[in-house]
Amino acid sequence: MLDVANLSLHYGRHVALNRVSVRVNKGETVVILGANGAGKSSLLKSIARVARPDAGYSGSFDGRRIEALAAHDVLEAGIALVPEGRGVFGDLTVDENLALGAYAKRARAHAADSRAFVYELFPKLRDRRAQFVNTMSGGEQQMVAIGRALMSKPELLMLDEPSLGLAPVVVGELFRSLGRIRERGIALLVVEQNVKMSLSIADRGYLAEAGRITGEAAARDLMNDAAVQRAFLGATA
Amino acid sequence: MLVTALLSGLVLGGTYALVAMGLTLQYGIARIMNLAYGEMIISAAFLAYVLYADAGINPVVGLLIAAPAGFLLGYVVYGVMMRPLVARAKDKASLEIDSILATFGLLFVIQGVLLVIFGANFTSYNYLNVAVDVFGTNIAANRLLALVMALVLGGGLYMLLTRTLWGTALRAVAVAPASAPLVGINVDKAARMAFALGGALAAAGGVVISMYQTFTATSGVVFTMKALIVVIMGGVGNILGALSAGLILGLVETFVATYIDPGLTLAATYGIFLAILLWRPAGLFGRASR
Repeated sequence: MLDVANLSLHYGRHVALNRVSVRVNKGETVVILGANGAGKSSLLKSIARVARPDAGYSGSFDGRRIEALAAHDVLEAGIALVPEGRGVFGDLTVDENLALGAYAKRARAHAADSRAFVYELFPKLRDRRAQFVNTMSGGEQQMVAIGRALMSKPELLMLDEPSLGLAPVVVGELFRSLGRIRERGIALLVVEQNVKMSLSIADRGYLAEAGRITGEAAARDLMNDAAVQRAFLGATA
Repeated sequence: MLVTALLSGLVLGGTYALVAMGLTLQYGIARIMNLAYGEMIISAAFLAYVLYADAGINPVVGLLIAAPAGFLLGYVVYGVMMRPLVARAKDKASLEIDSILATFGLLFVIQGVLLVIFGANFTSYNYLNVAVDVFGTNIAANRLLALVMALVLGGGLYMLLTRTLWGTALRAVAVAPASAPLVGINVDKAARMAFALGGALAAAGGVVISMYQTFTATSGVVFTMKALIVVIMGGVGNILGALSAGLILGLVETFVATYIDPGLTLAATYGIFLAILLWRPAGLFGRASR
């Protein structure tokens, strides 16, 4: 469904991404593992066209070219991004954030259904409808960010470090919610520091290192991979 | 005397609020500091004058002509002049400098055209210049109508921005422009709409002003300054802030002129401005989004 090849990105002289290729199949959950600075965030931002990658890469989604689109058209094509730091509208209410989630033309007709799903997923948001988002806790803001992204009726949801800065109990809840989004048939592309949790909901994983993709395997195999365990799971072998 | 001052203050304040709302849209959403804003106001005032004096069209109908014309002017000016600046701006600060310089030039272009057509004389016309009794004091009907028009337009704009998805999207661009594309908002288009809407409000303000004040081709800068003060007092991009700050400024100016000395009006204006900048630099109502 998503197919990106030869994607590079420079920040001045710094090479953030070097000829990276990734793909995500319909309904698949894919996780990208890698240390800080491996280029994971840059990759998601480039796919969403929030960052401007170098020319000469190819990207397609559902058979549609996406490498030359503006960021708002990528969303319109069915790819939603929950960025690191969430990118919510803090000065607006929960209700307004969710309503704006369905601003895209593809989403408007389904706004009521999407909202029902979001409330079912995060009942707290229904109770906090009128609250300003910047007065909420980190975990609640993450719910708003994910709920807002779901309102656009995405076929692929990209999440950048969704568990960053959240309390362990909240992280558990978050991953249960991601599991239910997955059950709904929405593909997920997740960058996550919590390797164990993310591999537990994933079908497949990529390993990223210094702006390159250095490995790819089924999530189950990565879980048992000695190198992955050493690097990310804190195993002493 | 108190009721007279109060009413005059509300009329003036309503006008300030109306024009400031347009500037706060242009500055808060489109991120363009439009120094030619007052010239757009005065152009509409002359338009209303021509329509009334030459064609016998009353200013209420004139508003229905001037506001769409202002929208169109804002739309075109943004597309032709501002978009290239936005496209090449490295950051917010460089866009601010570029837009200030560009609109400073535009100010003199519009002013020059107005001077050629209308000369430098004080202009005014008589529309509904009859006294109406309100709470035992007399006030000119045109002033009362000006206040009503300002309140209706301001209230309408507020509803548009808070009760419609389109308006909410504009506010989203004001509070977090980087996040707006994540929900599918075309920021460039939103900025252009906000700038055009600001132009419509400037025009509406110009028509309202022409109903009860005299004006000249060169008085635009006064309105730009007043609107800017109100915008900063109310918080940039904050519609309710502009509404309240506008009313406050109008009341203070009128009360100072009535009870202390008319010569101190400007001093009072800048006095409040300074106090607010020192006490609450983000404005009375902060940079919130309503």
